[in-house]
Amino acid sequence: MTELVYDVHHQVTFRWLIALYFYFTGMSAGSFVISTLAYGFGLEKFKPAGKVGVVMATLLLFIAPVMLLLQVGWPVRSVWNHFTFLNFHSPMSYGAFLLMAYPVNCMIYGYFMFKGDMKKTKMFGMIGIPLAITVHGYTGFILAFGKARALWNTALMPFLFLVSAIVSGIAVMILILMIKDKFFSKEKIINKEIIYTLASMLGWLIVFDLVLVFCDISTLSVSHAEAKETTHLLIAGELSPLFLGVENFFGKFVPMIIVLTPKLRSIRNIAIASALVVVGILFMRFVVVYGGQALPII
Amino acid sequence: MSKIRYAMVIDLRKCIGCNTCSVACKSENAVHIGVWKSWVKHIQKGEYPNVSKSFLPLLCNNCEEPICVTVCPVNANRVEENGIVSTDPHRCVACRYCMAACPYEVRYVHPIKKIVEKCNWCLHRVKVGLQPACVEACPSGARIFGDLNDPESEVSKLLAKQPVQVLKPEIGTKPHVFYINLDHDAVEIKREVDVL
Repeated sequence: MTELVYDVHHQVTFRWLIALYFYFTGMSAGSFVISTLAYGFGLEKFKPAGKVGVVMATLLLFIAPVMLLLQVGWPVRSVWNHFTFLNFHSPMSYGAFLLMAYPVNCMIYGYFMFKGDMKKTKMFGMIGIPLAITVHGYTGFILAFGKARALWNTALMPFLFLVSAIVSGIAVMILILMIKDKFFSKEKIINKEIIYTLASMLGWLIVFDLVLVFCDISTLSVSHAEAKETTHLLIAGELSPLFLGVENFFGKFVPMIIVLTPKLRSIRNIAIASALVVVGILFMRFVVVYGGQALPII
Repeated sequence: MSKIRYAMVIDLRKCIGCNTCSVACKSENAVHIGVWKSWVKHIQKGEYPNVSKSFLPLLCNNCEEPICVTVCPVNANRVEENGIVSTDPHRCVACRYCMAACPYEVRYVHPIKKIVEKCNWCLHRVKVGLQPACVEACPSGARIFGDLNDPESEVSKLLAKQPVQVLKPEIGTKPHVFYINLDHDAVEIKREVDVL
């Protein structure tokens, strides 16, 4: 029998503020991508989502960095030192620049959209797509560079983050469009066509997300010792109710069935499915952030 | 003459688990209550009468390819000329990225100063030719500190003659704390999971 007699306590590194930061940037990037479908790629069907999307993307990206600044020990110094002592090897350095460039681009894009200058809207929409993808992709990249943690240290991490970002972006967009049409439009009628199109996009992206999660977890389960322990923690341990139950069953599987089954697809059910996704992805962020650090590594 | 590259050998055949190193470190570096730069993990194993205790003294490994230096966004961590990894308190903004990336969990946020700190083998002492506080305090002489590039140093001699092991060699950071008689069970056993 081996027993631990004495060990010291270690601080938890990243807490709920970081999870919320990932959540908000994700939804922002997702809404931005949807908004460019009409104004960047010219898909007329998505036009009603354009303006809502850019407002959401900008607002969320103003909340997100606040979470970061609350998390760091020296918020003002962090901005200043970032320019004076830049480290080109750190993903966080690039991320900070993206976090500054992306909301500015969002505002310019939104300004031209509301002004009706379609040519410039399209241009800034196209500049915005790589920015939106990288501003959220880099958050996964940051975790992937945390090489001590088995759950994070995988090249899949940026993609897991991106897909879940677009999933949560579409879901929150569906909800906002419904609320806007129902309560704040002249006709008080929900635009069914766009809701159904977005819902089927949501469904297939959830399928893709589930495949990615399956690839990630199944590879972890046969990897090195700490990876196996992490898999056990997620599948059968203390985090399994959150990971399997809330995140994957109620947050992804149930909404996927609802939006992809023709009989179940109604405006009310799509609203329920989107709400489930929005909550599910929030828990996904928490599971990734806390699950990565839950196991002691030394 | 080649450059100095400091390393530490911990001879666990001599370690008695007295924690003098932890206390000496706290005292020398004014380490805040609740956090540690150097500590000792104690385990016991077996059933009576076949029992034993093992100790695992832990501290910063001052790696040759430190991940903390790679990930720091403000270049607060750097590898000194003598191989010691130091943290600049005036640059650190406590983003905690280095804490997340360190495979040895040796970093912590100072509860009042709000900057990340860790063991730097008492760089201020080493610079003026003294030994790190833990090495000087160890009553059984289990900690040996010296220049890896000097073939006559005690560290070099021990590394040449003894079978040694480092913690987590698979991580690839090339740690520079070498253990003699390292107990696999002491490395494997972990404290309870604390989620949230």
